[in-house]
Parts: sequence; C-alpha cells; structure tokens
Amino acid sequence: MPEINFTINPQTGEMEMKVEGVQGSQCADVAKIVTELTGAPEREENTKEFYARTNIRPQIQNKKI
Amino acid sequence: MSKYMTFTEVVFKDGELLVCALEDIGCKEIRQGENLAMGRYYSEQLQQRADIIIPRDKIGNHYGDIGFQRSGNGDYTPVIDDLDGHRVLNGQFIPRLRAAYNERVVSKVATRLRGTIHRAIEGGIVKIKVRY
Repeated sequence: MPEINFTINPQTGEMEMKVEGVQGSQCADVAKIVTELTGAPEREENTKEFYARTNIRPQIQNKKI
Repeated sequence: MSKYMTFTEVVFKDGELLVCALEDIGCKEIRQGENLAMGRYYSEQLQQRADIIIPRDKIGNHYGDIGFQRSGNGDYTPVIDDLDGHRVLNGQFIPRLRAAYNERVVSKVATRLRGTIHRAIEGGIVKIKVRY
C-alpha cells in the first residue's frame, strides 16, 4: 500500500515529505498535489522507486469472428 | 520603532487552508475581503493593504494588525509589525502558523487521495503517515 510520510517541525514550521511504495511518475503526481498547496520545495530528491519501471503486462484478447 | 514588515519568503498558497491554520493557532477574529486597509497605530507604520487581517490585540499583536496580502498568482504573504513579530506567540507566530498550515495541507492531501492519517509526535517532531 502506498504511503506518504510527512515530518513537521513545530519550531520552524518546516515540512518534509517522503513518498513510498509508488513507482515511476505516479510519485511525481503525488508531489504535484502537495506542491500546489505548499509551493515549490527547497530541495527535491528522487528515490530508487522513482526510477523503477512499472511492470506492464500486455493483455491480448482474441477477437471472435 | 514600530513598522510593518512584509515577509516575502513566507508564502501560503491556499487562502482557505491559511484561514483554518490561523484559527488552529488561536485567531478567533479574522477579517476577509479584498484589498482591505490595515490599521495605522503609529506614525512610522506605513499604510498597508491586505486580503486577510487579524485585528490588533486579537492574538497578542499589540502594535498593529497582522495582514496577508494576496499576490497576482494567488499566494498570500504575511505583513506584521516589526515589534509584534518578536512578541506574538513568543516570537513564534510565523513558525507556528507554517506548522498549522502544513498540517492542514496533509489533511487535504489525504482527503484528495482518499487516504487514512496516522499522526504521532516523536521527540517534539510531528510525524504523519498517509496511506492510500
């Protein structure tokens, strides 16, 4: 199950976010939802999962004639 | 010397979340509108306008109103008297507001992703996990 881990420092108000269990560009989609509300992050780093290719299993359906 | 300061490096993108965050940190009275005049209580305070205003003396701001100016791209920037900046919530007004705003952001993100929230405090740091 995908999850996002947020850390908020009450002393500074700063927030960090780490997206886990999401591969490829879907991770960027989640980040976009957050940055729409917070603005661009000061620092951004892609994890290994970002570069992982999502497994795509082709589905072939026989045509009935 | 009392003067209004604009914090251009502190930006809040969402006005609705900003108002909720202000309520979260104890602002009971919040004026909202467009281009509202902020009060001038000292001759050194230049006239300022804002779209969200916490009137003077409502959250320990003895020297002036606290305002949030909406820019052309929709961002809100705080305007606060120099002396109030060091006194309101023991000088922690902006950090506490940012923390409250960010907690509101997490709630909104969880709602949009139809996720669940697990909140914990570890070593004074707020840790929130959103599963979806």
